Amino acid sequence: MRIDIRDLHKRYGDVQANRGISLSLEPGRIYGLLGENAAGKSTLMRILAGYTRQDQGEILFDERPAHVTSPLDALALGVGMLHQDPLDFPALSVWENFVLGGVKRNKRAAIQRLLQLSTRFGFDLPPEAAVGELTVGERQQVDLLRLLDLGVKVLILDEPTTGISLAQKDMLFAVLRELAREKDRTIIVVTHMLSDALTHCDEIVVMRRGRLVGHLNRPFSAEEIVCLMFEDRVLMEAEACHKQRAADEILLSLKNASIVGESFGLPGLDLSVRSGEIVGLAGLEGNGQELLLRGLAGLAHLKRGKIIFCGKEVRGRSRTEFRRSGIAFLPAARLEEGLFADLTLEEHLCLAFTEKMSRASDLFQRRCADRFQLRAAPASTARSLSGGNQQRLLLSLIPPSARLLLLEHPTRGLDIGSSRQVWAYLEECCRAGSSVLFSSVDLDEILTHSHRVLVFHNRRLFADVPTESLNVETLADMIVGRGKAA
Amino acid sequence: MQSLLEMAGPGLRFAAALVLACLFTLFVIVCSGAPPLQTLTLIAEGGAGSAGKLAQSLSVWVPLVICSSALLLTFAGGIWNIGVEGQIVLGAIFSTGLFRHIEGVGALPAIALGLVAGIVGGALWAFISAALRVWGRVHEIFSGLALNFVAMSLCLWLIFGPWKRPGIASMSGTEPIPESLWLSHLEGLPLCPVSLALSVVVFLAVFVIMKYTRWGLMLRAVGQNKQAADIMGLSPHRRQVEAMICAGGLAGLAGALQVVGLYHQLLPAISSGYGYTSLLVAMIASFRSVLVPPLCLFFAVLNVGSIQLPLRMSLDSSLDGVIKGALVLSVLLIQGLEATIRKRRGRLA
Repeated sequence: MRIDIRDLHKRYGDVQANRGISLSLEPGRIYGLLGENAAGKSTLMRILAGYTRQDQGEILFDERPAHVTSPLDALALGVGMLHQDPLDFPALSVWENFVLGGVKRNKRAAIQRLLQLSTRFGFDLPPEAAVGELTVGERQQVDLLRLLDLGVKVLILDEPTTGISLAQKDMLFAVLRELAREKDRTIIVVTHMLSDALTHCDEIVVMRRGRLVGHLNRPFSAEEIVCLMFEDRVLMEAEACHKQRAADEILLSLKNASIVGESFGLPGLDLSVRSGEIVGLAGLEGNGQELLLRGLAGLAHLKRGKIIFCGKEVRGRSRTEFRRSGIAFLPAARLEEGLFADLTLEEHLCLAFTEKMSRASDLFQRRCADRFQLRAAPASTARSLSGGNQQRLLLSLIPPSARLLLLEHPTRGLDIGSSRQVWAYLEECCRAGSSVLFSSVDLDEILTHSHRVLVFHNRRLFADVPTESLNVETLADMIVGRGKAA
Repeated sequence: MQSLLEMAGPGLRFAAALVLACLFTLFVIVCSGAPPLQTLTLIAEGGAGSAGKLAQSLSVWVPLVICSSALLLTFAGGIWNIGVEGQIVLGAIFSTGLFRHIEGVGALPAIALGLVAGIVGGALWAFISAALRVWGRVHEIFSGLALNFVAMSLCLWLIFGPWKRPGIASMSGTEPIPESLWLSHLEGLPLCPVSLALSVVVFLAVFVIMKYTRWGLMLRAVGQNKQAADIMGLSPHRRQVEAMICAGGLAGLAGALQVVGLYHQLLPAISSGYGYTSLLVAMIASFRSVLVPPLCLFFAVLNVGSIQLPLRMSLDSSLDGVIKGALVLSVLLIQGLEATIRKRRGRLA
């Protein structure tokens, strides 16, 4: 379906999310929509899919103006959206989710149709399993099949590659390509991952601060796109790598340690981390990276063996003692696990640094504003911060005395500028003798920043390799269990 | 409507809820065949029409304010302390128990000890709930409710068993405590100034603690996000246990004051449902502690005033419960409506 967007404006309170967007999308093509955080990508897509309405401007579907006031209207026109976090019912089974909000069918017909569609695209979805037990990638597949079954002609995918495996990603784009070819569907992929857009999209549309600043055709120039996304704020220098050689002093060692989580355990871990070392944890999500980080942070149970930090055994210490002894943990779910949504920034600082409320503004200036350029009112709540600022706040809450930094997806959802700032800080910490362990789904990030990579496969520590001997392909192989084992 | 609500904030929201509750109450009164306006005036006059009535309402205000302040602590810490009713009863039992056995101490130290015993009793009862929650994974709503029944039964058993009046056991309670241990009343008024002063002190202390101390801040943090509090090393379980003990202690103090300042004996109705009423107060106030004293006064007047209904109009005094319930539902309804309107505006604007 052909879509013409004409002079679209949208304002949320004080924020002008879209300013005068005009764009034509042709059928049969895959579009990549790129832009920094808060560039207005999601707003534009939400308007297209009927979740919100524009203040001004019009949208033509196949050259006919349409009055879309709800997602249902949009679906009737043939516009469907896949959300970043699947909008499904985790407690219900796959086929029930397929039927709910889909074509009305009885159970047998639904399962038959579901299997027919999944066979066609090479998905392997158990119809009776509860959706909550599936991986994010599989949940996405269920939702995708539901939309296809409804006969969508325009498919919008919001950050579809966050949280899914490499294999699932390749499969997803293969399916998207096929869908675009047959029946002239229009496919729009909103993404942070430049490499995904470069590899898989036919055209790339770039937004910045609510405006459309570029519409490019193949062959793409990565450099040009990054310049469009970030103006000249981020220079196009090759990603500078400041990592230094780690010292010889052993900061942390695990001796036959078994860490037990809620659904599985990591048995018999033997490893050591030197002072100043950055260790990347690679693997499909849920294979033990999170568990190792949480075990080291004192949040998961150490069943057997020893963890020795700074020459002392940590067993039996409370979470407070872990933190006091210099171990900091930054969870991936920043607002859900790391921050207090309705407390102010100053209150966060008081909690983290046990200081009097009266000294909070000074603390804010020193820790947040000067150090991390956190531009927000000290009295604003954590909820009101953007993802990047939430991460800055979390970083500024790390005590300066921390020697072991454990981070889950430190740059997830951050734009390139914020990510660089995060890494500049972490590398500075390492120069001062701290060590960093981090998990990430971005293999480039792992290869760029770590001295050493721990690969997790099948809920085990699969390999422990120095970064020099790795490239994206060998690392990707190890993640799925091929190549050399530890 | 939405912008109006936004402008005036909590005050107008409460007024709107009050109007809604009044309409519903009027509807109930009309249905029961009584003259509506006269009924409401009767309640207002009965609760605040004279110095005596006002004093009576204030003596109800005392336990309400203390218990609501206690609940501000636990609500902030993310705990639904339904057990507050039982904690009042335990406070009353412990202080009565102490007065029955204390001898050879001056009146003033004895009274002070009696209040402390009440605090200990309430705190102990709350600690059971807290321990079950933190170490036994039993939700405090269930344990609190169960312990309320246990407390009530314990109270009745004492009144009809070991602590019964010599010769008779009756609903009218135990033998009164020695008159020397009674906290004095204002001349000719059913109000004990010491109790009143203590309740004001308790409210102010809780207000200051929640707003200006690190412990209060930690408690609010724990209530908002237990996981983040754990990661930040704030020992959320310990904070919750502390909050429960403090709240239980305060409820126990309220119970002890019922004994030394008002009834001078242990009665089956010693807690008079004030714990449940303060839950309503805390729910309406929802963290805005400044609303607690006026809300408590409103409920106290309602409570005392509705006693007039059966006396003067042969209406059941449970109308008081109807008004209370309607008010809480109205407040929740207004909040819900507001959220719906805001959401809809966000989606369609």
